Amino acid sequence: MESEQYLAANLRRTVAEDPRTAELGVRIVVRGDHAMVSGDVACEDRRRALEEVLHEVAPELTILNDVRVTPAGEPDGEEDLR
Amino acid sequence: MIRIAAVGDVHLGEDMRGGLRPALDKVGEHADVLLLAGDLTRHGTVAEAAVVADEFADLAVPVVAVLGNHDHQDDKPLQVTKTLQDKGIHVLEGSTFVAEINGCTLGVAGVKGFGGGFAGKCGSAFGEREMKAFIQHTCDIAACLEQALSELDTDIKVALTHYAPVPDTLRGEPPEIYPFLGSYLLGEAIDATGTHLAVHGHAHFGTEQGMTPGGVRVRNVAQPIIRSAYAVYVMEAAAA
Repeated sequence: MESEQYLAANLRRTVAEDPRTAELGVRIVVRGDHAMVSGDVACEDRRRALEEVLHEVAPELTILNDVRVTPAGEPDGEEDLR
Repeated sequence: MIRIAAVGDVHLGEDMRGGLRPALDKVGEHADVLLLAGDLTRHGTVAEAAVVADEFADLAVPVVAVLGNHDHQDDKPLQVTKTLQDKGIHVLEGSTFVAEINGCTLGVAGVKGFGGGFAGKCGSAFGEREMKAFIQHTCDIAACLEQALSELDTDIKVALTHYAPVPDTLRGEPPEIYPFLGSYLLGEAIDATGTHLAVHGHAHFGTEQGMTPGGVRVRNVAQPIIRSAYAVYVMEAAAA
């Protein structure tokens, strides 16, 4: 059985290098038969794509998709650096 | 007074077209200039750059950008740059942007930057060809940044990079990957040149606020950090 550490490292490289995801800014933790993915992506489609790619390369794992979509609204105030 | 809007790591593609535009259409109400701290695309393709160019075109304020590592993924940084420039975006790489705003002059010097690590925990240009090339790339870029910053003679000087010049704004990232997130050489260039603010992206799990060893404010504006279309910093020329 592949160790959880190697598996998590390989999954993380996959979502960085697979052009369908190209996400370097997510975390993946594997424990037993669960993989938790967290972090932020730009839109809902990319959140789903992460889950699809992870399921494709590790179908034996249950994916807990805790990834959030980054808000892109107007800023709430400003920082005064004067 | 100058209001500087900034954001990095927007990672636009066709699936994101128009997503930032509602907030960008109002950027003139919030700010006088907009800085883009790299990773504007996902894969660095010219098609994605066209989405970026359209998204940031015809805004009420000047738009000044550097590229990030994602913008190099397709090995076409020059075409990406030209695509952005064709829509009026000022793309910096060892170069500067200067404007007079509200009676105050603003200068921005920009480079992509690169990794290498921070003082006492960094790589050296020694050993294998690949290692020497890695560190030399950072040295070359930091020298370009210092040169560009030193050429600015403006009331406010801002350094714009994608990679981080200090470790402060990386807190939240695993310390083991700091050498891939920035270099102290960028911070050293900022401290050597009387710079007032450094803005970068790249570190999605980092933190917004930091400071160089020389006391220059640093802001990580990666969009997952600022959690809006842009952050706004209000600055004023230092008293003579």
